[in-house]
Amino acid sequence: MNNQAPGLHGKMSRLRIRRLMNRLVLSIISIISATVFLIILSLLYMIVRKGLPDIDIHFLIGLPEEIDAGGGVGPFLWNSIYILVLSLLLSLPIGIGAGIFLAEYAPNNRIMEWVRAAIESLASVPSIVFGLFGYALFVEYFQIGVTILGASITLALLNLPVLARVSEEAITAVPSTWREASFALGATKAQTIVKTVLPAAMKGILTGISLVACRAFGESAIILLVGGTSSSGEMWDFHLLSEGATLPVHLWYIQSEALVADAQQIAQKTSALLVLLVLFLSFIIRFPLWLSQRKKRY
Amino acid sequence: MEKLSPDWTEATRLLTAQRQRWTTKYRFDRLFRFFCLTSIVFLIVVLSAIVLFVSKTGLLVFRDVSPWEFFFSSRWDPEHHRYGAAVFITGTLYVTFVTLLIATPISISTAVFIAEMAPPRLQQWLRTLLDLLVGIPSIVYGYLGATLLVPWIRKLTGAPVGDGILAAAIVLSMMILPTITRITDDALCAVPNEWREANYALGGTKIEMISKILLPAAKSGIAAAVILGMARAIGETMAVVMVIGNVAQWGFDLVTPSSVLTSHIVMQILNVDFQSTTNHALYMMALLLLFISISFIMMIRRLRLKGGPSS
Amino acid sequence: MKRSTLWKRVISAVLSSTLLLGAALATEHRADAAEVSGKIVIAGSTALLPLTQQAAKEFKKSHPKVKIVVSGSSSIAGPQSVTKGVATIGACDWDATKAVGGFPAYKGLKAYKIAKIPFAVIVNKGNPVSNLSVEQIQDIYEGKIKNWKQLGGKDEEIVVINRAKGSGTRVNFEDKIMDGHMIKTTGDNYKEVQKSGDMVNAVASNPNAIGFVDLAYVKGGIKAVSINGVKATTANAKSGKYIFYGYGYLLTKGEAKGADKAFIDYILSKKFQNGSLKKLKFIPVK
Repeated sequence: MNNQAPGLHGKMSRLRIRRLMNRLVLSIISIISATVFLIILSLLYMIVRKGLPDIDIHFLIGLPEEIDAGGGVGPFLWNSIYILVLSLLLSLPIGIGAGIFLAEYAPNNRIMEWVRAAIESLASVPSIVFGLFGYALFVEYFQIGVTILGASITLALLNLPVLARVSEEAITAVPSTWREASFALGATKAQTIVKTVLPAAMKGILTGISLVACRAFGESAIILLVGGTSSSGEMWDFHLLSEGATLPVHLWYIQSEALVADAQQIAQKTSALLVLLVLFLSFIIRFPLWLSQRKKRY
Repeated sequence: MEKLSPDWTEATRLLTAQRQRWTTKYRFDRLFRFFCLTSIVFLIVVLSAIVLFVSKTGLLVFRDVSPWEFFFSSRWDPEHHRYGAAVFITGTLYVTFVTLLIATPISISTAVFIAEMAPPRLQQWLRTLLDLLVGIPSIVYGYLGATLLVPWIRKLTGAPVGDGILAAAIVLSMMILPTITRITDDALCAVPNEWREANYALGGTKIEMISKILLPAAKSGIAAAVILGMARAIGETMAVVMVIGNVAQWGFDLVTPSSVLTSHIVMQILNVDFQSTTNHALYMMALLLLFISISFIMMIRRLRLKGGPSS
Repeated sequence: MKRSTLWKRVISAVLSSTLLLGAALATEHRADAAEVSGKIVIAGSTALLPLTQQAAKEFKKSHPKVKIVVSGSSSIAGPQSVTKGVATIGACDWDATKAVGGFPAYKGLKAYKIAKIPFAVIVNKGNPVSNLSVEQIQDIYEGKIKNWKQLGGKDEEIVVINRAKGSGTRVNFEDKIMDGHMIKTTGDNYKEVQKSGDMVNAVASNPNAIGFVDLAYVKGGIKAVSINGVKATTANAKSGKYIFYGYGYLLTKGEAKGADKAFIDYILSKKFQNGSLKKLKFIPVK
């Protein structure tokens, strides 16, 4: 009895130390996370706060000014959207098609393993490498200058491997019993994929598209090299060979070159606009998904 | 009973219709397969074209510059035909290292907080917030870095300029934090709940569960997250250009203006002639970037093959 | 079922937009063919970009049939793109038909001097130093003078800021101020920036910095120092008393013809030279 007491006492104090450690480390983790999110939120708030109140319709669709204050960012906003849509149109079918092939048709051999490795590697290659390629191809080789066309194609190339990978992953995650059920009902492989597998993998694919769209929207290194720093100076210009400066590049230009009197305000407004558009973009792409999930719940 | 005699024309019609349906059905099947095959072939051809082109142009630099000079000389001075890229290569590795030093512990704690400590509602919100952050244009981060961070570093360290490795590393940490956090979060969530319960059943505290069970179990997933963050940090261009100072010199004390591969490429590329050695040297740098990021992904694949609950 | 309709909708949206795009392309193509003779493509200096963009805007009003494409990347891109035939007019901050600042002479181009560009050596607004001699500036950039105290300022280390290689402003700085002296491009007090605006921000945010920029950019947190006792003003640059200025050039392959000539003529016209050009703080050449 007597010699057990110190042991028990020791156990008790060790337990207390462990509890204390537990509380301490957990609160450190909480504090770190809280600080991180506080910083993030305050930065976002600051950007939006400084720019948002002054954004009006004239700023959104107006033409940029070189001398007087009060210019808009219309052509750049338009280019941003136009290039994004074009690059998605080019990359979505091919990227998803390649993903389907990898997940559904590809034989399980060493060559396909290599292809997978190559695509995964290229999915995270620095965008500047693609930018250099686009610059060499369109500006140097085809000599069409800096254009919307070149920028869209280069962006599409940047996004292809990411899309292929994400869709492959999403499709592979669909349980094989679903496919078997579809085959059992007499559907062909293509019908099975289009009608059963793809809808089931939609969530993953849409997340991938949202990722890719935001990346394309915010990309500046590629646009700077292949799309240039100015626009055609007209609104709603569909011409593929006009210069293709987008909003991020315009922010950089305003910050680093512009002579116009209200450059600072334009920079603030443009950053706010960029942040809001990215939020909007990822929301809009996930929206159909969210809607269908809601319907299913009831 | 009257219809016993076979109506041949009707039967033929039905059969042809049936066959037609089958042909269309299988034609679509073949077409679809063909489309997928074309996509993957196109993808492979285009991407290898990019790699080949960058390699070909980049390797031309060794016609005029010895590999020894390119990789180990720190003197970049194209006017005097000196093309040493050691500063940029080391700079890239160094910036990445410092970035990881800052970002990894913070990201992992944040991920632990989201996965293990936050109430479900908050969890959902935080995840959405992080997902959105991945999409914020890098140029916005660069803008904030140049206008807020650099003056602050100058005040704090007494450095004359303030631009340099430290500023770049902090900006990059901000940028890769969501990436590392989200992937780590996923890896932590993939650890089966029984393992957690086993810890509590044995009387372990929460932090013991996290440090002794959760983190080791999610090890390979976390490693993959860090490497992916690393790949992103290495490839970032515009945000770095705005805060690094852009001088071809060593920046080991963190606050001396320096340069990295990406920032140097984008600073110089518009000002050089396409057929010049300088241009080839820049493409060689791009090839190096390509090579570094590919080897990172190979590391991740190796990790995944080894396995773990998160794979 | 619902999911498959969603998928169908996505596909049909993609298809219909492709069709729309195709139609848009087809019409664009035809429009292009009709006006191919009246197309001006301007490339090159970003320092001249405000000028060329403003001129293009005004020129389009009086010549609605001419299509003008203006872009800016760097001075050296001006002569390069014209030589290659990518652009019809190249903008450059120096006379690229002669070898200047380590860049080769471009043969077969014709240079039109369109504006005098005054530059300024700038310091932070809080800096008490307001006059520097050319020798002093040379010594600062060569790394011989390292402290503002040696120039009558505070006891603080001088932070030297330079533009990246290929900048037209840097070429003019090396030509007019450094005059053969080499800039020291290393040290923990030295930094390079890409663009004029970056230069302004760098000097405005650092009380001990020195840099150089087009006079038009001087406002806000920076001030121009007098050089050899001469104030940096457009009037002094016009008269030639102030030595730090250069010229902006437009380059064409051979003599300018057609739309290109009309455009250059418009920039050289009294109306533009004394109007917008002055407003952008360039100095008329005539």
